[in-house]
Amino acid sequence: MTDTSLQPVPGSGPRTRSGTGASNLGDDPAAPWRRTAKSGSRGRKQGVLFRLRDEIPLRHRILLAVIGVASIFVFWLLAATLWSSGNVLVPTPLAAWKAFIDYWQSGELSTDLWASLVRVAEGYALSMAVGIVLGVAIGSFRSVEAFWESPIGFLRYIPATALTPLFLLWLGIDETPKIALIIAGTVFYNILMIADVTRAVPRELITASYTLGASRLRVLTRVILPHSLPGIIDVGRINLAAAWLMLVVAELLAAQNGLGYRLVQLQRFHQVDGMFAILLIFAVIGICSDLALRGLRTLVAPWARP
Amino acid sequence: MTEPAVTGTGTGTRAAPKLVLDNVVKDFSTRRRKTVRAIDGIDIEVGDGEIVCLVGASGCGKSTLLNIVAGLEQPTSGRVTIDGETIVGPGPDRGMVFQSYSLYPWRTVSENVAFGLECIGMPRKDRAERVQELLGIIGLARFADNHPKELSGGMRQRVAIARALAPEPDILLLDEPFGALDAQTRRAMQEFLLLVWQRTRATILFVTHDIEEAILLATRIYVLSSHPGRIVEEITVPFGANRGPSVLRDPRFLDLRDEIQELLTTQVER
Ligand SMILES: Nc1ncnc2c1ncn2[C@@H]1O[C@H](COP(=O)(O)OP(=O)(O)OP(=O)(O)O)[C@@H](O)[C@H]1O
Ligand SMILES: [Mg+2]
Repeated sequence: MTDTSLQPVPGSGPRTRSGTGASNLGDDPAAPWRRTAKSGSRGRKQGVLFRLRDEIPLRHRILLAVIGVASIFVFWLLAATLWSSGNVLVPTPLAAWKAFIDYWQSGELSTDLWASLVRVAEGYALSMAVGIVLGVAIGSFRSVEAFWESPIGFLRYIPATALTPLFLLWLGIDETPKIALIIAGTVFYNILMIADVTRAVPRELITASYTLGASRLRVLTRVILPHSLPGIIDVGRINLAAAWLMLVVAELLAAQNGLGYRLVQLQRFHQVDGMFAILLIFAVIGICSDLALRGLRTLVAPWARP
Repeated sequence: MTEPAVTGTGTGTRAAPKLVLDNVVKDFSTRRRKTVRAIDGIDIEVGDGEIVCLVGASGCGKSTLLNIVAGLEQPTSGRVTIDGETIVGPGPDRGMVFQSYSLYPWRTVSENVAFGLECIGMPRKDRAERVQELLGIIGLARFADNHPKELSGGMRQRVAIARALAPEPDILLLDEPFGALDAQTRRAMQEFLLLVWQRTRATILFVTHDIEEAILLATRIYVLSSHPGRIVEEITVPFGANRGPSVLRDPRFLDLRDEIQELLTTQVER
């Protein structure tokens, strides 16, 4: 009985690779995963475009980006020709561009743009300031976290837009309620996201600093803050969109100038081309601030480049 | 005449103990109010200028012990003293190097090394001198202005060691500092640490699970058991201070290695 396992057993012995016409994979019903035929190569070659999480060639990237932008305009043109009259009126890109030039040359663009920019800047700066102070404190001290967790968890589920009537009632219709709305709509996100950024500081970085003789204040200012800085800039960049959202809500309801106010004025006179121009202005502002904040991040924290 | 206790008060040849752990116990409370004893009844002494190694299996409480000496955790009972003074919190007199890289990624190599010097308020000029000196010792003067992510793993740990040495600590605590390195780099780093020790005469408490590393570096070795961590043996290594990698071929080295291996294996079986 010693050597039987090495003897070829008739009928089930060494498989032959020919004759049956089976494909190179899976011609053994008992073990379909086993490779039995040679095809001259091994492994599965992947195409260049859809590799999971891999870079694609630069030429392809540029081409795809151009196609992406172009398709927006194609859709727009298509919509403009389909709905060129009636209730649902879509202006052509050219009409929107002309409306933009008119808006610009009348001087109203600069007053509106300036008014809106100042509101967002003031409101969002205050929101970020509160967000940084409270967020860093919550992320650093469990006691502060325990104190603020419930109030913030409760308040942040009140839709900020629902506060608009109340703020108008309390604060009148000048700048204050608009700035208050921008703060109300962004500050909780800022606090919670910055707290998360601060919590991500590796514990060992903090303990190592203690063993080097750093006080808690020094750890806070020289370790936790610099480590959190790029993350804080990212938070500011992401939540900036919510600040513009709140600005437009405020300006739609009560304002004498600003991009949102202009939108309502144009609506009254059915000037759809001008409205489209303003929507595009919002998009351009968004892209510009996004790029600027990304640049700021690499400038102040080149070490954190992904 | 009684047998001299294995963990007794030092023999005549040993320098006066710098660091003393007296019956140190640490319990961790886990969920459902249960407590886990991580280390139990630890008595350790480290003399001035010694390199003492703690060897033990993973999870036997080596890091816990080192954290207690660093002042990052408080013992449940027992006392830890340096030069007779009880440790109540972390301080620059006990420099520590961690298993994973803990350099400040936004600081350059020299700025990293300078961190502890800034903390003690050393003037900028003296600071620069001391950093230069330390970078010379660790052989990374050329990389003074590089950021940590531009360095290899071994280089980063060398910077971490220099950073811990900068404020001239009474004792240097190393928690498996070479654990993440490949075998060749590891060997080079061990020789580097010996060199640093011979040049600075620092007192070092070193944690490792690598037996050969312990014998190569230490003047004395404590072998720890697991769950809870207890000291099962104290071994004095017979090689002098001017040892080099040649001890790796010394027959006594192999004997010691087998002896410690044996101790740890019986621990695991138990
Ligand atoms: N904060 C904690 N809470 C609860 N249990 C802990 C805590 N820290 C450590 N322990 C427990 O104490 C024991 C010792 O842990 P420790 O990290 O000191 O081991 P170690 O010897 O350093 O292990 P390794 O070689 O893997 O680093 C482990 O069993 C661990 O589960
Ligand atoms: Mg450990």
